[in-house]
Amino acid sequence: MASEIQDRPVTEKHMLEIADFIARYLSYMLGAGVHTSRVVRNSKRLGKALGVDVSIHTSQKTATLTVGSEELRLKDTRVIDIPAFPISFEWNADLSALSWAAHDHRMTLDEVRTKFDELTAKPGMNPVFVLFMVSLANASFCRLFGGDIWAMLVTFTATMIGFFTRQHLMKNKVNHYIVFIVSAFVASICASSALSLGIETAEIALATSVLYLVPGVPLINGLIDITDGHIQIGISRLVNAFMLIVCIAIGMSITLMMVKDSLL
Amino acid sequence: MKEIFWNSIAEYNAATWAWQAAFMAVAAVLTLVLWFKPKKWAKTGMKIYMIAVSLWIAFVYYMKFGASREYSNVMTIFWCLMAAAWLYDLLTRFSTFGKSGKYRPWGIIMLVLPLAYPAVSMLRGLEFPEITTPMLPSAVALYMLGMLMAFNEKINFFAFILILHWAVIAMSKIGIFNIPEDAILAAACIPSMVIFYLQMLNSCPQGLRPSTKTVKILIFSVAAVLAGCMFIA
Repeated sequence: MASEIQDRPVTEKHMLEIADFIARYLSYMLGAGVHTSRVVRNSKRLGKALGVDVSIHTSQKTATLTVGSEELRLKDTRVIDIPAFPISFEWNADLSALSWAAHDHRMTLDEVRTKFDELTAKPGMNPVFVLFMVSLANASFCRLFGGDIWAMLVTFTATMIGFFTRQHLMKNKVNHYIVFIVSAFVASICASSALSLGIETAEIALATSVLYLVPGVPLINGLIDITDGHIQIGISRLVNAFMLIVCIAIGMSITLMMVKDSLL
Repeated sequence: MKEIFWNSIAEYNAATWAWQAAFMAVAAVLTLVLWFKPKKWAKTGMKIYMIAVSLWIAFVYYMKFGASREYSNVMTIFWCLMAAAWLYDLLTRFSTFGKSGKYRPWGIIMLVLPLAYPAVSMLRGLEFPEITTPMLPSAVALYMLGMLMAFNEKINFFAFILILHWAVIAMSKIGIFNIPEDAILAAACIPSMVIFYLQMLNSCPQGLRPSTKTVKILIFSVAAVLAGCMFIA
């Protein structure tokens, strides 16, 4: 009992192993914040390279994968939970490249699996480095919006406090909506201290101190998904991003009500 | 703006000098007990003191005597955040106030530095009550920093980054309010920032990216930029 797709024989057992692997592959990609059409395209390419047909349905929390072989007259369907990984552009690029490598170099399942394990086992980012870079990025935003050196410095340290609060709360598994509200409040209240100094650009410091929280990736992915026809998950992602933006607005509004109600 | 600032300091000093002396006496006793006989009650007492002194700055200094300044309520909220950081530490028993030998001499210097505030003011020709004292916000932040440095086995990092933020505020105040005394906090905070972040870096798991060397270069670069800004101020 064997089929030949792209000259590659597939047995029933082998097909199930491929299904296991593709399930893991697509859950990692969706979890890392890759937009749906790319996940579907890469998974199909990988399936074709390994000798099976792949169909995928995605939603916000789960994905349904069907792997089949016409020759074997066999289909295997499974529902996969999407794990919540941090957004990773690196996984996005590496795992996409892996599907091309499997396709171009006709890699075997074992080779693809080994490479996948290598790519996903890369060490994470240093939290101190991330803390500094996020703070520097926000200070740069402050400059781009016209902030002076003191506004930039205040934004730098205010972001550092807000981001450290976020890291600490997330480590303690606090609900992420609450994390966003608290982090936005802490960062903006610290940045508002610039108002007391009479700095002309203090309001820019206040406004840019929460930019590190803006959910850019879900917003972009939501729009791409909708334009690519994945309406359901696109709307889910946009609603999720919208909720986070509302949380940022709540955190910042608390600060504005306390210190500068004329801005609200 | 400068006049309002210095008038509020003068009113605060004239009305609360006895309370300020009491706070300083309690701080001295708790510091000495922690230094020579670090008992559990002294560690808890120090955290309670940190909460009390933060609330004192928030409500007495900023809310009562600094009310005439613009946005003094912002500072009240900020010092309430500082109190919250110490309260969280007290409830979770996070920092240990445990002895750590390496940076103790530096800690001693910082613990003594708040006393330099009135001395610098007098050298500038100012007279009581219009002088800086160890119970002004920057001097209190410096004392907290000294405690973190002298007992840095496991520190309250929330309190530290709030102090770092305050040091940035202090830097900008040097020129705006003509208060060069605040340069003491800023100067003490930059090496502390390097030390505490390097400690934090060393406590991270091995093998993370980018390399430890790169992150160290980043920390030193940011410290150098902050030092440059202090020079500008």
